[in-house]
Amino acid sequence: MKRYVFLIAYEAGHFDRLTPAEQEPFFTAHQAFSDYVAAHGSELGSAALADTDTATTVRHVDGATTISDGPFAETVEMIGGYYDAELPDMDHAIAAAALLPPSYSVEIRPTVIISR
Amino acid sequence: MTDPHAALDATVREEWGRLVALLLARHRRLDLVEDALADAVESAARVWAERGVPHNPPAWLHTVASRRIVDRLRAETMHQRRMPLLVTDAERQVPAEVMADPGGLIEDELLRLVLMCAHPALAPEAASALALRLVVGVSTPDIARLFLVSESTMAARITRAKKKVVGAGIPFTVPSEEDLPGRLDTVAQIGYLAFTAGYAPGSGPDLLRAELAGSAIELVSVTDDLRGQDEPVLVALRALMGFQHSRREARVDAEGELVLLADQDRSLWHHDEIAAARDRLMSPALLGPMTVPAAAYALQARIAGEHALAPSTEATNWSRIVALYDLLLQVMPGPPTEVARAVAVAEAESPAAGLAALADLDWPGSHRLPAVRAELFARVGDPESARSSYDEALALCRNDAERTHLMERRSALGASR
Repeated sequence: MKRYVFLIAYEAGHFDRLTPAEQEPFFTAHQAFSDYVAAHGSELGSAALADTDTATTVRHVDGATTISDGPFAETVEMIGGYYDAELPDMDHAIAAAALLPPSYSVEIRPTVIISR
Repeated sequence: MTDPHAALDATVREEWGRLVALLLARHRRLDLVEDALADAVESAARVWAERGVPHNPPAWLHTVASRRIVDRLRAETMHQRRMPLLVTDAERQVPAEVMADPGGLIEDELLRLVLMCAHPALAPEAASALALRLVVGVSTPDIARLFLVSESTMAARITRAKKKVVGAGIPFTVPSEEDLPGRLDTVAQIGYLAFTAGYAPGSGPDLLRAELAGSAIELVSVTDDLRGQDEPVLVALRALMGFQHSRREARVDAEGELVLLADQDRSLWHHDEIAAARDRLMSPALLGPMTVPAAAYALQARIAGEHALAPSTEATNWSRIVALYDLLLQVMPGPPTEVARAVAVAEAESPAAGLAALADLDWPGSHRLPAVRAELFARVGDPESARSSYDEALALCRNDAERTHLMERRSALGASR
């Protein structure tokens, strides 16, 4: 099994503008994703993220901690959520990602173990 | 075959992909396989010259390469380092010996190797280079020459591709029947990318690059044979490349200048290859349903076949070619298809009709559209428009051989300015 993080990007505010009926397929798609992962591996975690207007970025600049309002970078698409899952291989990861709502872009990132 | 050098060359040429596939299936170490096999070939050159060609040459190479890998694995264990393994199906039989294999198993490993290299998660250029290296055994310098990049750039590209395969868990497996056609489309796409790279005019004459395009045909042919010559996309692409490659000696003259199809010496064409490509077009695989890329290759192959099988330019069936382009536009719309169709219209009807077909077309950044317009303006007797179109084409053209050709055509319009 390999561990993958699925970073989900979509246009900010898009989901909130939809009617409940329009939102329904999103729930179905996420359920399909979770079912697929459960069938072929295991889901280790997930979260939907609040919009980037609530984001805070912490950096160290010249030894001092600076705190700024907003995400790393302002983009049209924002990271709106993630899944963390174990699956057999990249083909399964791609198949799972394809089940998520079609308005998403999904970046699949394998994880690495950093040892000392 | 007793000449050790010839025996070794033939074994490497014919068995490289299978040996890589077998070694990968057993050891799952993409980072070690290539070097181990190269070492084995090196010692074969020495040992076979001394003691004669072994009874089973591929098995000899496999054993020696396998031993090298095991040595490396031992050294790693001593240093307590464990490198990541390739992802494979956990439970399946891996053939232990090259020739003890009944046949089907090794073919299966080879298909896994092709599909691992031609994976959609790899950039097409990277996938293409990786497949030529691992499946066909083309050397890294030759792949670099094919794609017109430096050797170090190509070596880095291949290394990066291997790292992604292992790191991202791109599997060494055959996908489900349902997913296979899409994956074979990718094999075709990267194969044709490498093939066209060999024909993309480089700077200056380099006939060797056209020969290297033959290794792209090899990649597609190996896969086509593995699938029983029954997959539309592979059958169609193999026919298309067969027609195109058959003209390699006629398309450049002794000075390295491009020779247009109409002016080529048809006796230089490989007529046996043309006949083979024509037979592929008759395959029952091309009669059933197929994917969009497969249909596009099949139509392009039929167009190439019309050219290749015509006894002369004049005797070419241009109206049938126009009809094929009309179909091609439905599966592969866009300026390249429109321009090629207009050229056929000019031949089938008149240069003026060809110009009319180009009237509303826009193809930003390409010299091809103004170059074709210039040619057609010259033929309808409008040298002024021809000249300015040639100027437009020359300003956009980045290739030496094509620039020379365009300048010659421009000056042939007459001295007036």
